[in-house]
Amino acid sequence: MAVTSSARSGPRQVRRSRLVPLWAMVLGALVLALIGTSPEYAGTDSYIVGLIGKFLCFAIFALAIDLIWGFTGILSLGQAVYFGIGAYFVALSMKLNYTLVNATRYGSNIPDFMEWNGLTEVPAFMTPLLSTPVAVACALLIPTLLAFIFGVITFKRHIYGVYCAVITLAESLILQDFIIEYQAYTGGFNGITDYGNLRGAPFLWVIVAVTVVCFVGARMLTHSRIGTVLKSIRDNDVRAEFMGYNVANYRIFVFCISAFMSALAGAMYAAWVGIVSFLDTGPMLSVEAVIWTAVGGRATIIGPFIGAFLIRGLEFMLSGSWFAEYWQIFMGALFIAVVLWIPDGIVGTIGAWVRKRQAGTRAQIREDADRLAHDRQRDWEPAGAAKPGEERV
Amino acid sequence: MNQLFMQVLNGLGVAGILVIAASGLAIIFGIAGVINMAHGQFIMVGAYVAATVDMFGGSMFLAMPLAFIVVALLGLVVERGVIQWIYDRPLETLLATWGVGIIIEVIVKVIFGTLGQKVSWPDLLDGSIKIFARPPHFPYYRVFHIVLAIAILLVTFYILYRTNFGLKVRAVRRNRAMSGCLGIDTARIDMLIFMYGSGLAGIAGAVIAPIKAATFDMGFTYAVSSYMVIVLGGVGNFLGVPTGGFLIGEGTTLLAFVTNTVIGQMLVFVAIVIAIRVFPRGIFGYQERR
Amino acid sequence: MALLEVKGLTTEVSGFRILDNLDFSVDENELRVLLGPNGAGKTTLISLITGQFKPTAGTIHFNGQDITGWAPDQIFKAGISRKFQVPNMYETLSVYDNVMISLQGPRKVFQYMFSGVTAAENERIWEILEFVELASKVNEPADTLSHGERQWLELGMLVASNPKLLLLDEPTTGMTDTGKRRTADLIQRIAKNHTVLLIEHDMHLVRQLAKKVTVMHQGQLLAEGPLADVVANELVKAVYLGKGGRR
Repeated sequence: MAVTSSARSGPRQVRRSRLVPLWAMVLGALVLALIGTSPEYAGTDSYIVGLIGKFLCFAIFALAIDLIWGFTGILSLGQAVYFGIGAYFVALSMKLNYTLVNATRYGSNIPDFMEWNGLTEVPAFMTPLLSTPVAVACALLIPTLLAFIFGVITFKRHIYGVYCAVITLAESLILQDFIIEYQAYTGGFNGITDYGNLRGAPFLWVIVAVTVVCFVGARMLTHSRIGTVLKSIRDNDVRAEFMGYNVANYRIFVFCISAFMSALAGAMYAAWVGIVSFLDTGPMLSVEAVIWTAVGGRATIIGPFIGAFLIRGLEFMLSGSWFAEYWQIFMGALFIAVVLWIPDGIVGTIGAWVRKRQAGTRAQIREDADRLAHDRQRDWEPAGAAKPGEERV
Repeated sequence: MNQLFMQVLNGLGVAGILVIAASGLAIIFGIAGVINMAHGQFIMVGAYVAATVDMFGGSMFLAMPLAFIVVALLGLVVERGVIQWIYDRPLETLLATWGVGIIIEVIVKVIFGTLGQKVSWPDLLDGSIKIFARPPHFPYYRVFHIVLAIAILLVTFYILYRTNFGLKVRAVRRNRAMSGCLGIDTARIDMLIFMYGSGLAGIAGAVIAPIKAATFDMGFTYAVSSYMVIVLGGVGNFLGVPTGGFLIGEGTTLLAFVTNTVIGQMLVFVAIVIAIRVFPRGIFGYQERR
Repeated sequence: MALLEVKGLTTEVSGFRILDNLDFSVDENELRVLLGPNGAGKTTLISLITGQFKPTAGTIHFNGQDITGWAPDQIFKAGISRKFQVPNMYETLSVYDNVMISLQGPRKVFQYMFSGVTAAENERIWEILEFVELASKVNEPADTLSHGERQWLELGMLVASNPKLLLLDEPTTGMTDTGKRRTADLIQRIAKNHTVLLIEHDMHLVRQLAKKVTVMHQGQLLAEGPLADVVANELVKAVYLGKGGRR
């Protein structure tokens, strides 16, 4: 929040930085137009368009991670649980509907993985998913509910930091195992495939619209007072509690929002890509999303977007080349590099550089004054000290 | 009934493995406050050391100390290269060590391929105890795991509580700043502790490898189990790891026997989450006084 | 009636009694100084009052309410604010935001959704910034301030929260002499409208500030009264200076 102060006597105004600065709006509109119309010039079925839709979903997921980690300091190594649950509900729904219309080669109208496992009809508890509104509601609300329960259990007991990270990791792994095990209902190792997809111009606009809403919403949240509270919890949760903030409640709040966003991203992902598997719920995806955010710039709004696109895009571009084998090593090295050398990520570092330029002169003057004071202190000696060479009495 | 009893024994064996795997991690976390996300890969490297020794005809009893040394050296490299800069930021250490883990895994994949290596038990451990007339019997290697787990606990206890080095370590854990002022080289202590913990992970890998095989991804589940042992048992007290290991080991085995592996895991996880409501820092952890 | 009343407060850690059946009270609008050698239990007393720990026995009454065992955020809302020994603030937030976050006001989650700072609040924040002489650094992140400035920022944050009782734990640690005197001055100005309990070691400052003084020793009350009386107290002298060395 930018604050200007006029002359001593005048009233001080609070000039809030506009919700979205003008240049960002223009640039953003351009980018969105580019993305949204890509089916036109690249061809609806082109691989690029497919990637763009996917990456947008990942960007929303990364933003969800940024909200809890970059802004509030909660590291969850299992947010993909919510992404995955959202994805699976939608995929199941679409699969059930698809197989009603397109019979499998054995002539039945139930999903193939159910057939392979000996089911003769769709289980009763799954039939509500045939209805799209029900499926969407489940996809969005159930993960949020789970997140709420998790939040109440862990945050109310002040379990955070390393413990929280490790517990969410375990949670993610267990869900993954659960999905693989109960393949009759989830498609197991192969996942849910072959249910058609919504890849195409209209749905791309839907994804774009949702992305914009999420980003604007996130920006509004983080620029409001709540945003500052969350940051204060990240910086010093003890202090925040002693200043009267119920830290647990705030953590639960942002965690649920993050879960909702992740589920939303997952749901759209399932609809767009046409395949989901256990990998979409596991630790690998969760940790990758953290890295997208870290590289792009945590505690920024644009950072996750850039990070996701950059890394996934890079992976795609290098996938055909000799480098592909070493991609994982690159990723691992990126993790380390981001933590050790670029903690602010790309956007963060640029922002800091810009701010430093603006504050340059003032900072320089202050630095010089500090150094002068420091040097003076260093030369200070107690009155009775012996000079070198003198005898000590 | 016999089946149940055998499962209880098996659970002890699993507990043994968990204790062996988790001890190294617990020491590092208890003293330095960092969690090594590459723990699984450290275990895996230990397993591959055992596989290599096995290839050349050596026995596991040679592989164990070798694995300890190799992985301890690996830990040294990681500690000096990455971790020493970020001790004050435990969450970042998670991410950085995750990256280290990925790199190690890829390197091993490149060297050894993806198929995995079979490691055989030494003759001494091949076979099982006949407790009941009918199979399943209690394999010697499970006994070995339990014995080794106890041995590691005793050795670690001895080092921490009966040696000068251990005294310094405990001082650093109690009050890092003061220990530094008193002339204890805290950086060196951190390094040595990390090496010791890593070495223990190596031993864990060496004695786990023969159960199925040494594969590049075998370590991950053991690592996650180790984290759970620490979360449940706590690192404030020596009894944390054995307690956590015992509860989780027995719990998963018995529940898996009654239902299935995945449900067993889930139930144990839920139980842990409920347990930490009462013991936020683990059963034997430093508790908050509120 | 006393604003803060502590009765029979006892707390044990690992068998060691830090506070032993302590009776202690502070009246409204007092500026009380709490003295005592290291280990006397002063910081522990403050921690108990602010809800960081639960006492093993005893009660704490504030403004007529029994706040024993309350959570820290509830105690804050009851009107007690605390300054930590080491400057404790939100490092990456700007000076403005640090004060803004601490303003007295509702703390509920949904109340703050999308809302900003009102004009009245903004005025108050600037008032406080001028009071602690940090108006020129308004947009700097807190971790770029010097140590003395950070102490003052924290004092500003506490004033912003408009508490009934301010608990200041050695607010002048690490300051130069000038800084200490100016801080003492600031505290006196704060004390005009608030009740202040101050832990301090520097006797010059104590002389400058104190009217009534409480001395603690090994978890119990050793002496209480006007500074001059306490200083002349034989028991206090023995505790501080040791019993030996008669000259």
